[in-house]
Amino acid sequence: MIETNVFFASIFFGISIILPVLVSISRPIARRISMACAGLGLLALADISLRVMITNSAMTLNLASFYKELSFELLIDRLSAFFILTIILVSLAVLIYSFRYVEHLKKKHGKNIAVSLMNLFIVSMILVVASKNLISFLFLWELMSISSFFLVYFDYEQKTTGKAGMFYIIMTQLSTLFLIASFLLVYSSGNSFEIRQMPQNAPMASVIFILAFLGFGIKAGVIPFHKWLPYAHPAAPSNISALMSGLMIKVAIYGMIRILLTVLPKPLLWWGVLILLFGTLSAVLGVIYALKEHDIKRLLAYHSIENIGIILIGLGLYVIFKASHFEALAFMAIAGSLFHTLNHALFKSLLFLTSGSVVMATETKNIEDMGGLIKNMPATAFLFLIGAVSISALPPFNGFVSEYMIFYVFFNTHVLISPFLKILLVASACILALTSALAAACFVKAFGTIFLGVPRSKHASSAQEASKSMIIGPAIIAILCALLGIFSFQIFSILGFNFPIPNMMYISIVLAGTYLIFFLLLYRASKIRVYETWSCGFPLSNGKTEYTASGFSEPIVTIFRAIYKPKRNSTKEFYDDSNVIVSHGHAEMSLMKFFEEYLYAPVLKAVDFTSGITARLQAGYLDLYIVYVFLGSLALLIAMGVLT
Amino acid sequence: MNELLIYSVLNILAVILISPFFMGVIKKIKAWCQGREGQPLLQQYYNLIKLLRKESVVSSTSSWITRATPYVNVAALITAALFVPVLFVPSGSTLFGNLILMLYLLALAKFFMALAGLDAGSTFGGMGSSREMAFSAILEPVIIIIFLALAFMFKTPNLFEIFRQASAVGILYAKPLLILLMVSLFIVLIAETSRVPVDNPETHLELTMIHEGMVLEQSGKYLGMMELSHAMKQTLLMAVLINILVPIGFSTALSFYSIAISFAAFMAKGTALAAVIGIFESSIAKLRLFRLPVMFMVAFFLAFLTIILEVYG
Amino acid sequence: MMPPLALPEINKILLVLILFLAVLIITVKDLLFLNFLYRIQSFFIVLVSLALYAPDRKTSLLAVASITLLSKVIIIPSIIKNAQNKLKIKRDVEFHYLTPISSILVSIAVFFAVYLSFSRLITELPDKTFLITGSLSVSLMFMGMIIIFTRQQTITNIIGFLTIENGVLLFSLFMAELPLIVEVLILLDLVMLIVLASLLAFGIDSNIEEFHKKLQPLSKFLGGQK
Repeated sequence: MIETNVFFASIFFGISIILPVLVSISRPIARRISMACAGLGLLALADISLRVMITNSAMTLNLASFYKELSFELLIDRLSAFFILTIILVSLAVLIYSFRYVEHLKKKHGKNIAVSLMNLFIVSMILVVASKNLISFLFLWELMSISSFFLVYFDYEQKTTGKAGMFYIIMTQLSTLFLIASFLLVYSSGNSFEIRQMPQNAPMASVIFILAFLGFGIKAGVIPFHKWLPYAHPAAPSNISALMSGLMIKVAIYGMIRILLTVLPKPLLWWGVLILLFGTLSAVLGVIYALKEHDIKRLLAYHSIENIGIILIGLGLYVIFKASHFEALAFMAIAGSLFHTLNHALFKSLLFLTSGSVVMATETKNIEDMGGLIKNMPATAFLFLIGAVSISALPPFNGFVSEYMIFYVFFNTHVLISPFLKILLVASACILALTSALAAACFVKAFGTIFLGVPRSKHASSAQEASKSMIIGPAIIAILCALLGIFSFQIFSILGFNFPIPNMMYISIVLAGTYLIFFLLLYRASKIRVYETWSCGFPLSNGKTEYTASGFSEPIVTIFRAIYKPKRNSTKEFYDDSNVIVSHGHAEMSLMKFFEEYLYAPVLKAVDFTSGITARLQAGYLDLYIVYVFLGSLALLIAMGVLT
Repeated sequence: MNELLIYSVLNILAVILISPFFMGVIKKIKAWCQGREGQPLLQQYYNLIKLLRKESVVSSTSSWITRATPYVNVAALITAALFVPVLFVPSGSTLFGNLILMLYLLALAKFFMALAGLDAGSTFGGMGSSREMAFSAILEPVIIIIFLALAFMFKTPNLFEIFRQASAVGILYAKPLLILLMVSLFIVLIAETSRVPVDNPETHLELTMIHEGMVLEQSGKYLGMMELSHAMKQTLLMAVLINILVPIGFSTALSFYSIAISFAAFMAKGTALAAVIGIFESSIAKLRLFRLPVMFMVAFFLAFLTIILEVYG
Repeated sequence: MMPPLALPEINKILLVLILFLAVLIITVKDLLFLNFLYRIQSFFIVLVSLALYAPDRKTSLLAVASITLLSKVIIIPSIIKNAQNKLKIKRDVEFHYLTPISSILVSIAVFFAVYLSFSRLITELPDKTFLITGSLSVSLMFMGMIIIFTRQQTITNIIGFLTIENGVLLFSLFMAELPLIVEVLILLDLVMLIVLASLLAFGIDSNIEEFHKKLQPLSKFLGGQK
């Protein structure tokens, strides 16, 4: 049964990846068959992982073995199954969305390759999560990175895309570098690449943890390694951004959790503090940076950083409570963290997909040029609103439940003994509260400027609703967002967990009930007249008098000016010599890019400097290189002779 | 289960019915402070009934958001009313009473109110929602730290359990640190209900406009619902303060007499607190907008010290 | 009258309120109000010493209370008020180095640091409350320093200095060894300082930068920058 499923799945995936490359026709039929095949393959896998998820079993599959250590083996246990299910849910919706979205892309060529790469990307993510040993994990991890790199590079004619692509590939290679180091240490502790428990050996374990945390942290976009996200996401097509932001950074979270649960199951307290600090920092800075963005996709990218921060806060709490031997709370923390992973995958891909439709309709990514789209694109607006409400963690949607679980653990901080930890956790909880409130502010801004009010540009006023597949895809995710929130209590009890979370079903019934009662009571209470906006009597002529997105975030920029460090540059030129009559002037305001200026630039300079020195060694003469080889081999030989 | 049902109905009705009265009391006190006669105490009820019957004018620019928001607000506030017992605490219920959920229900109402502010495309609405979201965001850590301190002191995040413990012992005698916490909570109450040092509910001046800016385009029954939910929010926050600080007369059992006493006691204490708010509002001037974070920070400092004392003391 | 059991708690509340007033002093701009806040802060210290006096009935504590009441609640604030009335400047608008919000955050951090280092330094303790009261009063001294270096006006600096002194007094109160001697000695210093400082303040017209500011408008006619 399982074998047949896997067999069919691999055939479908094979077709979906190879077919569009083989057939070089530009008609959509090949792409559609390919995407349908990918969807079928996902469904075949969904069956297996659902079964594993509910029965809490594990299954292994040996696909191919080459050498005693090198084999492609899959292991699907509950953790993998959870991540596979997440990938399947989001990918299905993205595939449905891409059905029409790909056809709308501006480029003539390369659509087939894009589809093929997208399918490869999805398959590689599933395989990474299911890998049984570290070698296949690394191999598939690279496959995932490279396929996504090409997808980011899809629009390569654009100047910004080139920079984004290079930034992304360098950061992702850096991440792999740390991972290789960490995995080699795991290998050296028992001469096996199996993902298994490390023998307890504290200093080595800490080194492995730090290396893995860095490696996965770079890929997940943890601040201060986050810079590639806001570059790569806007550059890629929207369906790819949805996959990358919704899923790929979650694969890095999977890696972290796998390391913490399986390889190092007895974590030390300070790891938890470290994770918590990085998580808190990412959460709050992510949302603060998001608030100043007016490029819709970059805004969403910063929100990914924020949510990764929230997930890490949950993980940090897990480690802290685990190390302090409060198993129940630790379990609740990691469950909250995992649930938030799923939820973020859902609502973030929902937001990326719907914003993709908006960008397509208005031909701009700048939200300052949008406005009033709720009239022309009602369905997209509604779906975006659901995403916005979910990501702002408002009840009864899913984002609330996972944040609640993390808050619940925070509210039980008093069980801890160390006062230092208590205060640390209180501070972190306050920052988390700030984060979620700022996220709500940011999405009021985003939804308000994109969809409400008066159109601010010609494109915005003539926008067309997205085509059907581009509504059905996100709609599936939106429904899931609602269901996962409302029935969270029931879902957890089906899986066998009894967490003290509120039964959102009753809450939603009360909410909907009172809404309905008031609606019916007041339905005939009074007449409704439609008239122009009052606005204290000021005429509202066009979009120019509306509140803009920068106006909206101005109070927050002023409050957090210590973080943004806004710079105001103004120059004036005068007609006369004594500088009285101004002829013309120029004023601009920019916000500081702290990490770029103070973290990345110095590293870059250092690399530049050292490579300048090493470049002298590389003279380009063959003879010189032979001298190097000669000296090198001689030195090796002598060293061996001396040492042995 | 039966008790819970009675609790739900009674509590919601009580909150809806009491809320306009407290609003009226505050208005009356402020009028007295300014040397005016002031409107009758029940004027708020007349206003509400009038508004609910009146024709609503809806901007042609606006969408269904403007029309749905008042209902969402009322629904969220009524659901939140289930979480804050004003008359009695039903025995052994964990379904409601969750502090975090209550907070987020209030946030839900606020989210939609801010959206409605942007919906009509008017500058004032945008300004109101921008300020409201910014300042409620920086108020959020203060609220969470107060609730965390409560959870630290009572060892539970459940408001029902907190109220029960509070009314069981002479709470102020056992935990005098609560006074400090309540000072912070009072600042939160002032800020959340957009009262004077933060916002001015009386004027439509753009300098002071936060809450009023957002509901500027609402009229008729929609405005009525917004006012009702605003008054309810005030009552809920007042109830948290009152029932923890002075739980005298608060009932933990379901019987007719005890509830009647509890009701009378709550009305008396609520009126007193409303009078305090009115006097406070009259005696202080509006703060400059960007001085507000400092005020919130001061409240934060107080709550933080309370936690430290609770943790270490 | 509260039974003695609750007294440590009351002291804690008073301590927190004293720190709270220090936070207000950090943020407030109105100079007259600052003086008033200082008066209240000193009054709370009187209350603390009275609360400490209640159980043990040590006369030295009573003496401290009365001296503090006389000097810090009545005499020093009125000297400052007199000086204040003769000056034109009523507000201290600018902040250096730290904004009020970051000053508050820094104060929280300072308290935490002081507490942690105290708990490392002093291992054997008669009771735990000393640790908390000790670190609260020491952080009050630090807050006084913050007041001094974030503000410009002489009057505010004086009040910052007085806040430091209040911290010292509090600390000595809770050490419960030599409060009277410490207090009397410091007080002498203090009164001298206030008199001198207010004399200076009259003389130089509140601060030196004021002079430069008066010159500022002229530069417009000279065609310089600005």
